[in-house]
Amino acid sequence: MSLVPVYRSRPSALHAARAGAGAALCGALALTGALYLHPLILSAALGAIVLAGVLAGVGREIGRSLRFALPFAVLIAVINPLVYPEGDTLLFRGGEVLGREIDITLEATAAGVFNGLRVIVIVTAFGLLSAAVDPDELLRMFRRVSYRSALTATLATRLVPVLARDATRMSDAARCRPHPPGRLAVARAALAGSLDRAVDVAAALEVRGYSLGGRTRRRARPWSRHDWRLAVAAALLTVVSVAGAVVGVGSVEPYPSLQVETGGIEVVFSALVLLVPLTPFAGRAARLGVALRG
Amino acid sequence: MAEPLVVAEGFGYRYPEAGRASLYDIALRIEPGTFTVLAGVSGSGKSTLLRAFSGLVPHFHGGQATGELSVGGLDVRDHGPGELAGVCGTVFQDPETQVVMGGVRAELELPLEHRGEPAGSVARAVEETALALGVAHLLDRRTDTLSGGELQRVAIAAAMVHEPPLLVLDEPTSQLDPVAGDELVWQLRRLNEDWGTAVVVAEHRLERCLPAADRVIAMVDGRIACDAAPGEFLDWAAAQSPPALATPAARLFSLAGLRPLPASVKEGHATLRASRSTPGEPARSDGVVLMHDIGAQRRHGSPERPRKLRALLRRNGRDTQAALGLKEVWHEVEDGPTILRGISLRLEPGERVALMGRNGAGKSTMLRIAKGLAEPTRGKVERAGEVALLLQNPGDYLVHGHAVEDAGVAGVAAAGLAGREDANPRDLSGGERQRLALEVVLGGGDPAVVLLDEPTRGMDRIHKDALAARVRQLAEGGAAVMVATHDTEFAASLANRIVLLGQGVVIADGPPEEVLGGGRHFSTEVARVTNGAALLPEEGADMLREGGAALGAPDPGAGERSVARGDEQPAEVRP
Repeated sequence: MSLVPVYRSRPSALHAARAGAGAALCGALALTGALYLHPLILSAALGAIVLAGVLAGVGREIGRSLRFALPFAVLIAVINPLVYPEGDTLLFRGGEVLGREIDITLEATAAGVFNGLRVIVIVTAFGLLSAAVDPDELLRMFRRVSYRSALTATLATRLVPVLARDATRMSDAARCRPHPPGRLAVARAALAGSLDRAVDVAAALEVRGYSLGGRTRRRARPWSRHDWRLAVAAALLTVVSVAGAVVGVGSVEPYPSLQVETGGIEVVFSALVLLVPLTPFAGRAARLGVALRG
Repeated sequence: MAEPLVVAEGFGYRYPEAGRASLYDIALRIEPGTFTVLAGVSGSGKSTLLRAFSGLVPHFHGGQATGELSVGGLDVRDHGPGELAGVCGTVFQDPETQVVMGGVRAELELPLEHRGEPAGSVARAVEETALALGVAHLLDRRTDTLSGGELQRVAIAAAMVHEPPLLVLDEPTSQLDPVAGDELVWQLRRLNEDWGTAVVVAEHRLERCLPAADRVIAMVDGRIACDAAPGEFLDWAAAQSPPALATPAARLFSLAGLRPLPASVKEGHATLRASRSTPGEPARSDGVVLMHDIGAQRRHGSPERPRKLRALLRRNGRDTQAALGLKEVWHEVEDGPTILRGISLRLEPGERVALMGRNGAGKSTMLRIAKGLAEPTRGKVERAGEVALLLQNPGDYLVHGHAVEDAGVAGVAAAGLAGREDANPRDLSGGERQRLALEVVLGGGDPAVVLLDEPTRGMDRIHKDALAARVRQLAEGGAAVMVATHDTEFAASLANRIVLLGQGVVIADGPPEEVLGGGRHFSTEVARVTNGAALLPEEGADMLREGGAALGAPDPGAGERSVARGDEQPAEVRP
């Protein structure tokens, strides 16, 4: 099973909203992760992502994103204290390795953990985007800017699972042979197969009139309650995050000695980061008109 | 009279770097609103001709075109696929790669967007096309969640959304199960009758399309060998040697000397009824009744042969070691359905078993478990020796640049490709690739069990016969063979036992005449014509001749018809 979530239509406020609004909310959460290193704020953002995922019915997909991000986070948390000897609080003196002093400090360790948490927040925010925002609709928005690039991205989105299935099939076929072929031969055949697929897709695009080059302006779609609620939540979170960063809320200074602001403002700010993204899922209105027809 | 949609005069085409031309001297006219079936064995030029209609030949593939070909008044040499798409919708064989967008609605919108249609027209055309073609319930689905049949219907809708007057389809049912294939043909028929769309469809399983066709064009070696109404085409096909394009019912009647050759089961029944009546006497349906009686006797009243076979199997079961044994095998998918529910099955050495059932019945899973590619969640699998499994896509086994590198010299020869050791497997036909892939999985050894998963998909009759011959040879060598297939004719010709799966359990297990003779869906065309009295044309023809003799009918080859006498007994079933 792929660790990268795949979009499926589900009856939720996030799925029912236009792709732009859904993407904006996920983008705002990722932005919060990028702007802050404060563990409480990052935890709030992560909590918001996980809860939004659960409320949107993609909790399992968010779990997969977490599993995908965790090794990177651990790597960062481990490597940072090994390669960054700054900090006043020495935890462990490892001696000299390859002419370099290995001193593990509390500050470098904390910075590694915070940065790992940041990576988890950003990756899971994109996991939420991938699981709950219609990629076709999203890419169609970009088609207005760069038609060919957006169409290429659409095709890639469509073909990646097809090619993954091809690869699984080829791997099964190799297991069925009494004398399994070398990896190079299989890789070459897989490449040739994907090129065949690409040629078939190109032919299909040709007979659908791709070379005519016509472009249709999208008809304006009325904004639904879910569009509004998600857009407002996204805008609010973006404003709060940017403003907080500008005024220095949640300041973290790892070096030379660890300083993490933990006043009331950070608690309130974290509560906002946690609750604002969840407002589109609140109340009876969040359940109105979310299921697909038919 | 309306202008023809397609006009070809002396059209020929050669692919780039090809040694010989793929199309020679094509001359034809296709009128609006007609339903044309393009018949021919693999490599006869059907796909190339359809690609010429859509402009892919020569614009997309390159190569050299000669002569004249215009589609909707557009000369294909001057107009590319984009422009021709306005008059010719195209649907290919593989549903996976012709649906290019992630969502169904986006897929239907794309051709209209390329044509620069106003947003309002796009929305209306998508709604109306989806409703008319029965895909409205799929509009909000992701394309990667659709079945093969659904994908193919979406591809047809995308090809028809701008209402071209011509729709060409290249073996659109070859990757589908029979139910989805039949539904697709009905949809084409509706398009043709309700919308007046001219349909040109290339197809191997002609019995599926002929009832809807006005005309059949048969291609042989890149030339049009026959261009006639279905009945005349069947006469022509039956006269060929081998009769590779004759439908099973047509072969049955041809071998029995009955005319006219039927393009459908209904016509077959009519011919049988007519064969029992003479002028001046009331027509009777004794032909059908006779066959019905024989069929019923075979299924219920005269179970001698099945009983003997079962007794033999029971005796073998006690005395010999099974080649493959499945004991109470379950397969339950985590967070998914239960695929197999306590399957117990025993395959004896030398047995030829056809495993049948609709899509999702558990056939492929059972084969994978038998091979060891998947583990049962409960139950036990016993194997007497090596198990060879040929999965559905033979190309997956052919990973080298030359056939000999994949299968060895002996394997290439066993696949019937001696002298083509250096051929690139990708240049082989589908049937040749299938046989070569079978030799790859056999690996020159003698496996105790040989399993094949849907080996005849998209294969013409000649290649099916060759594959069946090789499989029989393996069984004669002592291997137990099990073939998962939807192809009832192939199953009837190959197997001595049919196992029918449904909902993960065995719902029928017995000799072909018992399982396929009595089925409504899992039944051969000959069985439907003869009400289950025979499964294959040769067997049915013998029966018709014997029945004719028993009923005092003259030699059917003389073209005479006689009255069936009511007091005569049904013909005996051949042992």
